[in-house]
Amino acid sequence: MRTVLIAISLFISTLAFAQVPSVKVENSKGESFDTKTLVNAGKPMIVSFWSTSCKPCIRELDAIYDALPDWKESADFQVVAVSTDDSRLLAKARSFAEGRGWGEDYLLLFDKNQDFMRAMNVSQVPHVFVLDAKGKIVYSHTSYLPGNEVELFEAIKKCR
Amino acid sequence: MLLLFPMLISAQEKDWGRVSASLESTHHIYVDDVKNNFSPTEDYSLRYLDGGIYASNNYLKVDYYKGRLSAGMQLEGYFPTTVGYPLSESMLTLSNLYVNWADRDYSVTAGTFYEQLGSGLLFRSWEDRALGLNNAILGARATYGYKDIVSVRVFGGMPRVGKVTADAYASDKIFSLGLNKTIVAAADAGFSLSECLGWDGSILSFEGSFLYRYEQMPEYHMLDGNNIGWSARVNFDKDGFYVKGEYVGAGKKQSLDFGVMDGNAQIVELGYNSRGLGVSVTGRRLYFMQQRVLDGTNFLPTDVNMLSYAPALCSQHTYMLANITPYTPDTEGEVGGQIDAFYNFRRGTRIGGKRGMKVHANLAAYFSLDKRGGGFEGSKSRLWDFCLDVEKQWTRKFKTTLLYSLQDQSGSMEGLVPVGDGWGTQKIHIGMSHTVVADLLYKWTDTISTRLELQYLATKDYQKDWMAALLEVSFAPHWSVFASDMYNHGSSRMHYYNAGLSYSYRWVRVAAGYGRYRAGYICSGGVCRQIPAYTGANISLTASF
Repeated sequence: MRTVLIAISLFISTLAFAQVPSVKVENSKGESFDTKTLVNAGKPMIVSFWSTSCKPCIRELDAIYDALPDWKESADFQVVAVSTDDSRLLAKARSFAEGRGWGEDYLLLFDKNQDFMRAMNVSQVPHVFVLDAKGKIVYSHTSYLPGNEVELFEAIKKCR
Repeated sequence: MLLLFPMLISAQEKDWGRVSASLESTHHIYVDDVKNNFSPTEDYSLRYLDGGIYASNNYLKVDYYKGRLSAGMQLEGYFPTTVGYPLSESMLTLSNLYVNWADRDYSVTAGTFYEQLGSGLLFRSWEDRALGLNNAILGARATYGYKDIVSVRVFGGMPRVGKVTADAYASDKIFSLGLNKTIVAAADAGFSLSECLGWDGSILSFEGSFLYRYEQMPEYHMLDGNNIGWSARVNFDKDGFYVKGEYVGAGKKQSLDFGVMDGNAQIVELGYNSRGLGVSVTGRRLYFMQQRVLDGTNFLPTDVNMLSYAPALCSQHTYMLANITPYTPDTEGEVGGQIDAFYNFRRGTRIGGKRGMKVHANLAAYFSLDKRGGGFEGSKSRLWDFCLDVEKQWTRKFKTTLLYSLQDQSGSMEGLVPVGDGWGTQKIHIGMSHTVVADLLYKWTDTISTRLELQYLATKDYQKDWMAALLEVSFAPHWSVFASDMYNHGSSRMHYYNAGLSYSYRWVRVAAGYGRYRAGYICSGGVCRQIPAYTGANISLTASF
């Protein structure tokens, strides 16, 4: 058994870890958006999976929104908020995000059948990733406690 | 070891592909609690547990990516399933297995996959672990797109179903996908007129779907099992204003009370979003849109999986007392809608003050349809629901959220009533309730914070008045502890207490708790499932990388 586990570990250890897969989601206008094109911006990004019924998710995105003007003074990066609300709450999620002003500073994406969420192996929200300019995941965090957002900015600064 | 694993792997970057994986493991230990009508060791205990006090749900999902190729699998282990899950067996099963090729304009998938046509009213396959729902399709799928102007999807296969497939599990132990004899085949096409004509700033697109589905029917069933459904959709968006419309013809449906009927549904969404303002209006009519897979066995909706998605379209409350009697739609005939409005009073304005203020209101109303003719029976309201919540950041450290919710349901639900020396369930009129919530967050330092929820529910119906409180202390970035209690002081005098703690380190989170949980509905994504009361400890681990 131990030999099998070591063999599996050695096999997997030859593989690099995940980048952004190609999945079709919707942008804030309802147009199809290929997640593979996120790297086209050529700068680091925070990708946050959220839903309208997840209060910690909303607290985290609000905290980032409040801190963003200060953070942007010392780093150039993008924030991508991916709603995992299904078709039931899709319209609400759009209005909710715009109503909070997120649309001004965030790229809003809507993953109504959770295809992107599954492809990124997110099993519960909030789940946030920090990607470098090439799209490689350099940091990820599940759950949110007030103050956790500081770690995201530290990870972004290391991407430079 | 688990935490070191990705570091070991990411240190060796070769172009041999990439791996992504997630693990979710939940463990329950049940204890006797006569006051909560729960005793897993007695013969009147829940059928799910078979006299045992331990249950566990486990999911391991692994995906591999190499260029345009991806492949993956999901392993599920139940030892046995936790209380209230639709499955009841102990099993270890390879549930999902797929290979996918995604080229620039087309993709091909073989194995298991999830799909949705339009809003899901015609067809949706998805996974929701909170509900124990997974109707992945085993089959094949192909998609093609031309310059964002034309999109085409075709797929077919057999859906995974629910508890009624115990025989299927037993007969197919190698790949226990829980398949039955249901077959689905679908084609979907979309055309964007705005892309075709090169419009700037406006979107106008048309979509249509066709679905064939075969089900093995019970002997007494009046339908032969062949069903054809379709849907037509239109989307328009200009300068923040949008309209979406969908018509669904669901084909022949059999009802216990009304015989064979033509199922159909219509949904319209209007909205306007601009800087700091979001408004959406949704209207929907359902007429014989039953969602379940029959599988040739019975009509019990709790025993089987679903193939379409007709959720409740109203506020989805997350506070304890506001969610005591969640609304479930009448898929055989209802009409109604909801209005949502979000507004952000900006910083520096008279109302917004120094740090701004966010306001949200929702109004939802649903009415029964005349099921013989499909007409409107305006006097038969099923739900009136109004809620208003206000968020205000007072200082850098102190934030409040206040919520008021009015819910008035004419329907009934399984309710807890005194029976002999204990408790039993019977149909209870839900009636009207008023709920108020104060959610107070205070940050002592940049990383230490306290959150207090105070809640009160007032009603003359069902179990009368409730009160509840929750206290949560967080030590970012890793630790959090909480304790809560819901107390029904109006009728049963029962406390539903709960306490726990969690630790998270990057992509790993461990949580443990102990509590008494009331019988009721667990809701996720607008779909609700009834669960029994239970008392006990729980431990969960989630990891994702």
